[in-house]
Amino acid sequence: MMAAAFRSEMRKMWKRPATWVTLGLFGFITFADLIGTYRNARTDPEDPFFLPDAWGEILGDEVMVGFIFASVLVILLVAAEFSWRTARQNVIDGLSKTQWYSAKVLLLPLLSALFLVLRVVVGGSFALAGTDLSGGTPLFGAPQLSALGGMFVTGLGYTSLALFASVAIRSSGPAMAVWFAWFAFAETLLVGGLGRLFESLRPALRWAPVMTFNRLRDYIQYDPEALRRAAEWAAQHDRPVPEPSSLGPAFAGSFAWIAALTLLGWLWYRRRDL
Amino acid sequence: MTNPPDAPIIQTFGLSKRYRKTTAVDDISFRVERGQVFGFLGPNGAGKTTTIGLLLGIITPTAGRFELFGGATAAELHAARGRTGATLKTPNFYPYLTGRDNLRIVANVKGRDWAEVEQALDLVGLGRRAKQKFKAYSLGMKQRLALAATMLGDPELIILDEPANGLDPEGMREIREIIRGLGQRGKTIFLSSHLLSEVERTCTHVAIIQNGRIVRQDSVADVTSHGVASLRSADLEALAAAVAEYPATRWSRQRGDRLVAELEDGDLAAVNAWLGGRGIHVSHLALEARSLEDVFMEATGAADVDDAAEPGGTSSSDGHRLGEIS
Repeated sequence: MMAAAFRSEMRKMWKRPATWVTLGLFGFITFADLIGTYRNARTDPEDPFFLPDAWGEILGDEVMVGFIFASVLVILLVAAEFSWRTARQNVIDGLSKTQWYSAKVLLLPLLSALFLVLRVVVGGSFALAGTDLSGGTPLFGAPQLSALGGMFVTGLGYTSLALFASVAIRSSGPAMAVWFAWFAFAETLLVGGLGRLFESLRPALRWAPVMTFNRLRDYIQYDPEALRRAAEWAAQHDRPVPEPSSLGPAFAGSFAWIAALTLLGWLWYRRRDL
Repeated sequence: MTNPPDAPIIQTFGLSKRYRKTTAVDDISFRVERGQVFGFLGPNGAGKTTTIGLLLGIITPTAGRFELFGGATAAELHAARGRTGATLKTPNFYPYLTGRDNLRIVANVKGRDWAEVEQALDLVGLGRRAKQKFKAYSLGMKQRLALAATMLGDPELIILDEPANGLDPEGMREIREIIRGLGQRGKTIFLSSHLLSEVERTCTHVAIIQNGRIVRQDSVADVTSHGVASLRSADLEALAAAVAEYPATRWSRQRGDRLVAELEDGDLAAVNAWLGGRGIHVSHLALEARSLEDVFMEATGAADVDDAAEPGGTSSSDGHRLGEIS
């Protein structure tokens, strides 16, 4: 039954214009972003763009734009089911509430991976075009794999927050507004306010959900060579030198938040009538 | 799961649903046997959809319990819902998908082959419009698609909530024909409606719900043909007084040169004997057929309004004022 529920999700997602609009938009943004980098690299030898060094650029902050699109898509796919009352009808037709919710949870890794892969494929293609393949240097290795893993978990974090907003609010527009507000400023404001009120809470507040997820998005923390280059550049330009940080607690914290948000969403969804 | 094969298909025991200050369903008990076309009749807001929501597991009861196919545990109810096809009030589908794709989603959920989708589309006359998006369907087509979805998987129990809602007379007739056809195939149908003629023409049994409570339930034949007696006597006044005192009288009223009265047991011989014992001899005594509308108005108290316009109704011995629409 779970397989059937997931197949249905795939069909709904595939046929939903919003899926192609968000993927298309992100693809276009990635293309526009990286074609500039690629052109620069061809004219300016000081600013090269080839693999494996280009992974830092490909897996940079722009990946998060993809996860924002993925989160928007999660909200559109999940919250709309309440507006259309198809969430109710699916249960009437024979899905248990657990199966319905589990099928939605499976969307999170799928969409996070989809947007990440799109960035990697578009960016990788540009970078590959400028790479000397006879050099013998591995184009993709353990640091990149770890970085992809970290980015993927960040995507899971963003989308689990979107799933929670969808089942709690049950309407696409308001859910999107709340998700975006939390993501963009509400968490920062709340953490700042609480930190001023309760000084002893400050260390714990730094582990608020979005802050925790964002600890995993810094590519140079996964790639010692990139970190060394970044440190050199910072020293030359009188900027703060990046320090290596342990990613273990960030992974653990992110997984804890993802589990908590998914579980909380499930409890919220199950408790209320459809 | 081995439920008794002769168990009622639906049975509720004091089922209730309260929302803060509102009681949507109040201590209702009824049973639906296999093969019945059961009409669940009530005015808008009476609690019909909430009751169906409770049976379908999308609303949690605040009190009472129910059984489907004789099962009451969560696992049994989930399995029972696999033998049930249902649609709740408005047809709920994905607007951006075609009729066919929507039914394929339902088929996936029900674990049915996609070939059945084509059969279901043909059955409701949507075969040629299957490629059209749901959002482009007329209300009648949406209702028919909902019926097709309900019938996917050949369920033993079909629950339909206001299936003719918003349809024109032709659409209503089509839906009625489909439901009648399903009934003739031996399906158990639970049909909620506020359209009296629809229920009267389609159903074998009926329960009337008002303000969350069931006020009447029986077979349609029984509620429409039993109990209302027409009586005539030379001394109509004495007849009216005696009938009003008769213990089984629920209400009585003079209509022209005769008296009509609802008798709880419909036993004409007994009332004749009672009247004879009081020296009243009747020249006419027969049971009258009533429309479901009469029964509904009387059971929901709507007739009180008409009583005011047509004074002369008498109260039964328990003081419960009931009326009749003629």
